[in-house]
Amino acid sequence: MMSFTFETVVLIGALGLAVIGALGMVISNHLFRMLLALAIAESGANLLIVLTGFRAGGVAPILGAGDPAASMVDPIPQVLVLTAIVIGVGVQALAVALLIKVYQAYGTLDVRELRDRMDADVAAAAGVEADASQDAPAGGRPLSPAPSRGTAGFGRRSPAPADGLRP
Amino acid sequence: MIADMTLSRLLAADVGYLVLPVVLPLLGAFLMQPLARVSARGARILGPLLLVLSAGITAQLWLQLGDAPFSLAIGGFAAPLGILFYADRIALLFALAIPVFALLFWPEFGPGAGGRDQAARRDALMLLLVAAATGLALSGDLFNIYVFYELAAVASFGLVALTGTGRSQVATFRYLMISAFGSVFALLGIAILYMQTGTLNLAQIAQLAPETLPNPIGLAAFALMLIGFGVKAELFPVNTWVPEVYAGAPARVSALLAGLVSKLAVLVVVRLLVLIFPQPEAAELMLVLGVLGILTGELAAWRAKDFPRMLAFSSIGQLGMVFVAFSISGEIGLLAGLAVMLHHLIVKSALFGLAVRWSGSLEALSGAAGVSPLASALFVLFALSLIGVPPLPGFWAKILVLIGLAEGGTPLDMMALMALLLATAIEASYLFRVAIRLYEDTPTPVPPPARRDLGVAALLGALLLAVTVGLKPVADRLGEDAAQLGERALYIQTALPSHVARKD
Repeated sequence: MMSFTFETVVLIGALGLAVIGALGMVISNHLFRMLLALAIAESGANLLIVLTGFRAGGVAPILGAGDPAASMVDPIPQVLVLTAIVIGVGVQALAVALLIKVYQAYGTLDVRELRDRMDADVAAAAGVEADASQDAPAGGRPLSPAPSRGTAGFGRRSPAPADGLRP
Repeated sequence: MIADMTLSRLLAADVGYLVLPVVLPLLGAFLMQPLARVSARGARILGPLLLVLSAGITAQLWLQLGDAPFSLAIGGFAAPLGILFYADRIALLFALAIPVFALLFWPEFGPGAGGRDQAARRDALMLLLVAAATGLALSGDLFNIYVFYELAAVASFGLVALTGTGRSQVATFRYLMISAFGSVFALLGIAILYMQTGTLNLAQIAQLAPETLPNPIGLAAFALMLIGFGVKAELFPVNTWVPEVYAGAPARVSALLAGLVSKLAVLVVVRLLVLIFPQPEAAELMLVLGVLGILTGELAAWRAKDFPRMLAFSSIGQLGMVFVAFSISGEIGLLAGLAVMLHHLIVKSALFGLAVRWSGSLEALSGAAGVSPLASALFVLFALSLIGVPPLPGFWAKILVLIGLAEGGTPLDMMALMALLLATAIEASYLFRVAIRLYEDTPTPVPPPARRDLGVAALLGALLLAVTVGLKPVADRLGEDAAQLGERALYIQTALPSHVARKD
């Protein structure tokens, strides 16, 4: 029974790590924290996979190294988890590299600020209607007023003529 | 070309060559950098050459081995222990479509803007994407599916960030985060499946599934994997990356991601659904998420003010429809799903091809028909097919979904049916708005699409018209494809060891 409780504890721990990580990714507002939360979530998932092959008192799954009759842990999850760890490390390294680029481009890693800047950027690159296409800040508009672009006062009501004039 | 033909004739006799469409691009991707040091010209033609070769090998295999599914135990290790490639008609169709579409939307054949090193990097990433996508289409076990899925993800991160602008880097980062989030979910789902069945081989899981998985735990595993693989398939809650990425990435890359890569993720989900999770709750979950995708995508597309983002949102809606179609039980669901999926592959890729030069706001497109009548006519053709105007294939795809839903008849089905009709109205509204603008009489300087993109779009438009004319044979073939895709017993029989083709 001891082994059962131990497994259960680790199982709950693994799922807990995954949930903590996933929540962290959803609620944090800083890109680097999101990345750290991702690392936590990934370790939770990896732990769960290792656990699926776990046998209490099992030995390493190497033929010829020990007593073949002894129960071995299942090697397939270990292979899978090695792959997953390697992929995870690669993706995280790529993410850090991108973070540096993002910081160089915008000077901030705050999600909300970046989203505003990027939306403005996308709109500007797409055409001329940056004001009108401020992307659906549902309820957020009063809090973060769009920077005044010096267009005629009620220009937003009729974007078509305003845009026609600008290019 | 002739050398290629004889080469593929030499190669094609053995099932074992099924690995080549994956291995060749993979090898090419890693040879690209050293080769570029030696000969820039050689590196430039290496990618397209390997794609032609892969497509030729797949086509030759298909011609020689016919339509019956076959599987290949890689390295000669039989299935439950070894890993396998499983090729049925749909898998082969995608294995053929991937290099062809990659060739059609190859970023640049010339050295491009960034110079030689940048070109080699870009081509290497494209080849990686092709290898991973082909691997996804062919893989018969979860381990490989996971690895290829991640490989496709990493390659697409690189391709999206290629433009090097700040916004594309932010978009890539958010894409990466959501994608990695999805991977964690998929891994959890795979872990649960392994816990319940003790294997990662799809066929063996399918054999064990009726006893071990029709329970809440199995359903949880499906939900986790649906979310996980749904990231690439633009499934509803995990698709927030779509508009930013398609607005920031080069339009040809967007065409590949929206057209091709999303479909492969859908194919993985469909395999899971057919083989492992036949319970109705799984399909219902997919239906609900699909309906939410349809509504949010189409409404957002209606509000969009620039061409790429309108296409991006509309592709969310269309993929929602794909999920709704596949959630219909029975063969009609598979048939409808395949039809919608292939239709979207052709149409959305072509539209993104037009977006290469029309990347600006929709308002700036007014009068484009005067500059480039062919491009505008093609846009109208694709728009009509997307909306589902009768003689065009899009109509038949959509009507299949509607019939399937009506036959299902549950309240959920009816809700989906209503959503689909509503979405059609919204679609018509925003697509016609653009079409009217194209034919407006106010000549503004709109850049005409480049000859190459226009050619690709015209080719795909001609394909669409050809399907319209030859609807009957295409529909028959698609029906057989769907029947084969839905046969669980056939998959198990083909993939499991006693029947595995070995190279000895």
